[in-house]
Amino acid sequence: MSEYLLETSGLGLDYGAFSAVGEVNLKIQKGTIHTVIGPNGAGKTSLFHCLTGERKPSRGKIHFNNENITYLGAHKRVSKGMARSFQVTSLFQELSVLENLRIAAQGRDGLKSLKFWVSENKNHHNLEKAHEVLNKIQLNDVSDRLAGELSHGQQRVLEVGMALCGSPALLLLDEPTSGMGVDDIPIMTGLISELGKEHTVMLIEHNMRLVMSISDRITVMHQGNILVEGSPDEIKGDEMVKKAYLGESGHE
Amino acid sequence: MNSKTSIFRGITLIALVLIVLMPFILPSVTLATEILIFALAALACNLLLGYTGLLSFGQGIFFGGGAYSASLVMIHFNFGLISALLISILVGAALAFIVGSLSIRRTGIYFVMLTLAFTQMAYFLAYTFSDWTGGDNGLLDVPRPALNILGITVSDLKSSESFYAFVAIVFFVVFVFARRVIHSPFGTTLVAIRENENRSSAVGFSTNHFKLVAFVISGSITGLAGALYAMLLNFAPLSNIDLVMSENILIMTIIGGTSSLLGSLLGAGAIVLLGDVLSSIWPRWMMILGVALIAVVLFLPGGLWGGVTSLFNKLISNKKNKEESSTEVSK
Amino acid sequence: MNLYLFQALNGIGLGMIYFLISVGLTIIFGLLNFVNFAHGAFYLLGAYLSYTAVVVTGNYWVALIIAPIMIALIAWVCERTLIKRVYHLPHTYQILVTLGVALIIQELCVSIWGPIGKHISPPDSLKGVFQLGDFFYPQYRLFVIGFAAVVAILVWLLLDKTKFGALVRAGSEDAETVSLLGTHTHRLFSITFALGVGLAGLAGVLAAPIRGIHPFVGPEILGIAFVVVVIGGMGSFTGALVGGLLVGLVQSLMTTIWPQGASLMIYGAMAFVILLRPYGLFGRA
Repeated sequence: MSEYLLETSGLGLDYGAFSAVGEVNLKIQKGTIHTVIGPNGAGKTSLFHCLTGERKPSRGKIHFNNENITYLGAHKRVSKGMARSFQVTSLFQELSVLENLRIAAQGRDGLKSLKFWVSENKNHHNLEKAHEVLNKIQLNDVSDRLAGELSHGQQRVLEVGMALCGSPALLLLDEPTSGMGVDDIPIMTGLISELGKEHTVMLIEHNMRLVMSISDRITVMHQGNILVEGSPDEIKGDEMVKKAYLGESGHE
Repeated sequence: MNSKTSIFRGITLIALVLIVLMPFILPSVTLATEILIFALAALACNLLLGYTGLLSFGQGIFFGGGAYSASLVMIHFNFGLISALLISILVGAALAFIVGSLSIRRTGIYFVMLTLAFTQMAYFLAYTFSDWTGGDNGLLDVPRPALNILGITVSDLKSSESFYAFVAIVFFVVFVFARRVIHSPFGTTLVAIRENENRSSAVGFSTNHFKLVAFVISGSITGLAGALYAMLLNFAPLSNIDLVMSENILIMTIIGGTSSLLGSLLGAGAIVLLGDVLSSIWPRWMMILGVALIAVVLFLPGGLWGGVTSLFNKLISNKKNKEESSTEVSK
Repeated sequence: MNLYLFQALNGIGLGMIYFLISVGLTIIFGLLNFVNFAHGAFYLLGAYLSYTAVVVTGNYWVALIIAPIMIALIAWVCERTLIKRVYHLPHTYQILVTLGVALIIQELCVSIWGPIGKHISPPDSLKGVFQLGDFFYPQYRLFVIGFAAVVAILVWLLLDKTKFGALVRAGSEDAETVSLLGTHTHRLFSITFALGVGLAGLAGVLAAPIRGIHPFVGPEILGIAFVVVVIGGMGSFTGALVGGLLVGLVQSLMTTIWPQGASLMIYGAMAFVILLRPYGLFGRA
């Protein structure tokens, strides 16, 4: 048994002649919060899409729990124990917060939800899960409000909550603080580090303060490949990382 | 369990009251029967459009398919009432499976275009195979067999009243069934797919399976409606499978309101009744439908049923306000 | 042999008319990302307006000019008052609203011109036949091919060589770019809609002396226009031309053999294209 929950070997993704992800060997250890950072265009999002199953990789393999999931469809990865959030908030806007979470929990049932002849009220376990997550993300006060009516910060939190409902072994978070106001960011920071106690978390993030304060491991990507990997302190002092980021800002 | 999700209370009761009253209020029992038959088709369309967010121009295929198949087995193989209706349900389901499984490979406008293409193909197929369908003349002399249960003749269904009663029972059963469907885990997943397909897939639903089952359920109900319509008219015209039929079913569904199953009954009722009353005085009454369609999209997204409920809610809150203000005055 | 040449020419003529109908639909979809289910109804209205113009003025040429311009004006008013309100809505709503518009136009036409249908004759100067050896062909039909070809070139020049065309093409590539260009997008949208619909009206006028004017032909025309647009590729000018000619030729060559088979074939082709190559023959992936 490998100690890694998620492992990619030689993973790459091409868009025509352009190689967005070169050959990435990413290893995510069980029980850690592992962040992928890098300047714009480094291939983080493309890598993320391969991990969630949104894109089929051009080469390489993805192993999850020692199982090859390289070409598994997005929805099937949920039953394997992966769940994701979106960079651009993607909720059921016209449904209540609780209903959003309940449906997300129901996603674990997969094709069992095709049962059109039973009452939805019979599925207590999904409602319980929804309430459990509601407590965790502390949106109890707004559980009856429509998701679309929430503040942006609350929507971001619910976005993470939706992923949590799948009771995943691995949480994939795509820029969880994207578009969040400065005041809301500590809430997200607290939430993710709290989640890190029970789940393995892999996230893409731009907010360096958040990244440095909660990550166990950090992988820095540059031009489609891994530049360095290490603990937050190692990354802080790394010259190559500085250059990569400076190079970007130098062009701006 | 509250009345909103209970399949026997709430709007099911309203539906029951309506179908009992309809033959007495409306000008003729046949008209009431026609309304219920189209309400079945609209309700099936609503499952796709209102609950799954799929705009299908393929409903006419299932309607016509149900009408032809039931008529053919009755004419050529002497099938009885129940078995002929079962055939129409199966054929509707099978056609919906074919059309659905191909169409849902695409989304948005391309999905709509696929259903449109299949409807046109079905029409020209029916036109071509006139030995079976009667082509342009339609299928004539469609029988209306007696209702036999366990070998006992319950009713010969010859009178329009008895046929109405039979259709009403069928409608009520389907209505209760549809209520169960939309308040099942399956139904809530359909709503999730309508709201955000990407997210639904991300939380673990294989959305295409759900869309396909929705299609099959919708197709089987529409096929049943088509068969009942052929029995009502004793005739299965080519127009059953026409694009215009698909459009009419869609228009009934939308004008009635896509947020509730009762909307479909309302929509079918309004349009069939309007057509019956107006067509003799003003043959161009369809113009109203055009205006209504635009008005519903722009101003009344809930359709007729949405309008009725919001009016009702307003009346209640007005009454409350009045009571409150009057108590204030008396203080 | 002559019969096949005759049918092929018929097919090209029909194809050019289909092109005129479809090019508007495809440009409107490309630039405005708008699905116009009323397109067939405007074709119908164009044909009827030309009928009235011929009755009033007794001159086909006046009708040929006036009717399409009136259609474009009506479309412009329609866009300003109604269509612009649904641009931002999902395609489903656009379809429903324009379906409503189509119903209204169709029923208006029947109210005004009656349910039977009308016929107009070609202008006197084109009533004869063209003769080459032992091959005869109606002059008017040749005129339609030539006239439509000229219009096609004009539309192509407009799209390819003018600033207006550059904006339309830029908008089809990326609507946001155009909205960055400033405040005139709504005018660009109105003009494009009016132009596209006007071309459908022109097709109605050109086709009227050949096919007659039938009040319930709108949905059929709309269906064929969608076949053409889908096969050619949504948003593609070349696609509309090639698709229109293909469909026209198939229909024309099959009329003597199996007319319903032609319809089966073209709708089957449409389904195939969407399933296998959704961006069509000339559309962008």
